[in-house]
Amino acid sequence: MKRPLSVIVWIVVALVGAGALGGIAFHRGEPLNATWFVVAAACCYLVAYRFYSAFIAARLLALDDTRATPSERHDDGRDFVPTNKWILFGHHFAAIAGPGPLVGPTLAAQFGYLPGTLWLIAGAVFAGCVQDFIILFCSIRRDGKTLGEIAREEVSQRGGFIAQLAVLAIMVILLGVVALVIVNALKSSPWATFTLAATIPIALLLGLYLRFLRPGRVLEASFIGVALVLFVVVAGQWVAESPSGAQVFTLSGVTLAFALIAYGFAASALPVWLLLAPRDYLSAFIKAGAIFSLAAGILLVRPRVLMPPLTRFIDGSGPVFAGKIFPFCFITIACGAISGFHSLISSGTTPKMILRESHARFIGYGAMLMESFVGVMAMIAACAMTPGVYFAINSPASIVGATSDAAAATISSWGYPLQAQTMTDLARAVGEQTLLNRAGGAPSLAVGMAQIFSSTIGGPRLLSIWYHFAIMFEALFILTVLDAGTRVGRFMVQELGGRVWKPFARTGWWPGILISSALIVGAWGYFLYQGVVDPLGGINSLWPLFGISNQLLAAVALVVATTILLKMKRVRWIWLTLIPMTWLVIITMTASYQKIFDSNPRLGFLSYANALAAQIAAGKIPPAKLADTQRVIFNQRLDAAVTAVLAAMIIVLIIEALMQWYRILSADPKSVLHETAYVATRWPENFSGASYTATAAEPDAPAMEG
Amino acid sequence: MHSIQVETAAHDHMEKPHALAFAIWIKRLAAKLWLGIREWCGDSAYERYVQAQRTNSEKVSLLTPAEFYVERLNRHYSRPNRCC
Repeated sequence: MKRPLSVIVWIVVALVGAGALGGIAFHRGEPLNATWFVVAAACCYLVAYRFYSAFIAARLLALDDTRATPSERHDDGRDFVPTNKWILFGHHFAAIAGPGPLVGPTLAAQFGYLPGTLWLIAGAVFAGCVQDFIILFCSIRRDGKTLGEIAREEVSQRGGFIAQLAVLAIMVILLGVVALVIVNALKSSPWATFTLAATIPIALLLGLYLRFLRPGRVLEASFIGVALVLFVVVAGQWVAESPSGAQVFTLSGVTLAFALIAYGFAASALPVWLLLAPRDYLSAFIKAGAIFSLAAGILLVRPRVLMPPLTRFIDGSGPVFAGKIFPFCFITIACGAISGFHSLISSGTTPKMILRESHARFIGYGAMLMESFVGVMAMIAACAMTPGVYFAINSPASIVGATSDAAAATISSWGYPLQAQTMTDLARAVGEQTLLNRAGGAPSLAVGMAQIFSSTIGGPRLLSIWYHFAIMFEALFILTVLDAGTRVGRFMVQELGGRVWKPFARTGWWPGILISSALIVGAWGYFLYQGVVDPLGGINSLWPLFGISNQLLAAVALVVATTILLKMKRVRWIWLTLIPMTWLVIITMTASYQKIFDSNPRLGFLSYANALAAQIAAGKIPPAKLADTQRVIFNQRLDAAVTAVLAAMIIVLIIEALMQWYRILSADPKSVLHETAYVATRWPENFSGASYTATAAEPDAPAMEG
Repeated sequence: MHSIQVETAAHDHMEKPHALAFAIWIKRLAAKLWLGIREWCGDSAYERYVQAQRTNSEKVSLLTPAEFYVERLNRHYSRPNRCC
């Protein structure tokens, strides 16, 4: 495009984006159309990608396409595989996009649509994308080393150890909280429970097919699997309508929690080809399909956003979770804006497959923009339903009551009108016994998605099918995070155990496999169980804990990135990582302090434990509930201790980093950059990755495509 | 009548190359998409492996498709590969 025309086009995009963003921020009165959100987000992403990421690529990182990447230097067809940038974008996006950007914005909608939407866009552009991009670049320049290894080399030995511990801690808390989201979506729902349970034999069937009948033919197996999964979504209705089927698959929260714990153990200990991998294939296809369908549905239906821009709960009294807009909006949104976990993907698989350094911009920065867009869509889906319905679904029974009448009265008294009959009718329309007290975000997102989908295809008649399709989609890929995370956690435990007793680290040794699987499943299973029996709904305690640990890991990644940039002598541009890092430290430290010490029992772990202890001392707890209450007290103190340890880890890491930064700035010769040496690429300029024409019958005839 | 037939024939003569070019373009696009999906989901991983082994060394003992499939999965699922 000629330069003057290009300038005009970008000015128009920027003005349209600013106008749409202004419309969202300052509009009052009639409900806004969702198109405003889509236009604002898309224009902001386009401008950010075109200018900010280009600035980082050129001025901060000085990406060099003449330099051979790890995939060229170590090409082994296994880990190091030169991959076309579009395909690698798909790999990377499938790896980073989990349930977080769907659940976080849905929960944060209790503050209204405005704060969450603004942070989703601004947080991604200035923090999340920057983190993913720079960590990917750092790992490419270090042969695909992991975040922990990079931290050990560039910050300090202790810094690397802290990063590894932080990874294990976030893994345990993450798995506990996502399992709780599934439990809250499935409890007392025979249709949803049957559908999800049926995906296990389907995955086993695919596993056997791919292992023995047609080894590695993933595509054909996935087509069969997806067709079977769609069939069981429909068949779930027949099961739920039959008395015996409904009896078998109507499960309580505690029973579901133990079923998930057993599943996690099996997925970790069984051969990976049997259950874990085939489920991941199913999940990947359904995830891609559902996300694209949601985007298309929002563009076609253009629903009105009924939630106000700001609700009264910005003062911290929200029923979904306690805590003021600062810092809990940021902690709750987490992955949709910035996720520490992404730094593990950016420093693991992706850098070993990247073809050229310049692709890091498209893959690192671009994929995170897309994840942020998924978060904006989740926010639209949550805010498109009546606020009263949103609060009825997401609030625990201890706050709004367990019946439709009680919930309608309480929620209406907050200024969000709700008829009891509305909840009864909605539950019947989606094929559920009740939609009340389903904290966790998944059911309300499923209702929002079902309303959007049914407005496009099928009308109200298909609302129940769409609802259960959405629940299956969310639960299926949460289970994928659960089983893949449990297995990785098992390897981490084995590695740590191997330092004490070497045979424990052998990944094929059965006693080691069983003990380490039991330890990791026991750890997240404990958090899950405490969430299920928590009178405040579990999500109130565990989602903020997950958000804090996730954002702390992001702070760790940005500390490492800042250290490397200082060593690269980019002092002038250091604010690019220093500002988001400082912001994350401020919000996580504030949130940690409030979660531990706040005097409001719904917010502070210790004050809740103390309030319950005082009730026991005053004899207000009946003897039958004494043991349960004492367990809740213990759990609250445990959560306080975990939060304190996480906060202490980041403080130690920052002190380590500050000492390292001082050495770098005072030109200490010991502070050296640990990049691999420059090797010139041998690939021609137009080489875009290996591509294959061979078929299964002719594996001997691969062809390279320039 | 005669002139209409001549015009139609001339029109077909003009349109055919465009239609053919469009069909070829669609076919190539579909082939690229198919290859992309195969690579994205891992369907062509064994073919990649065979090529990399043969490119990098003259004497190679290749794994069978079944062996490669299991070995690849074991490595892939031993590190963080799915995010929150």
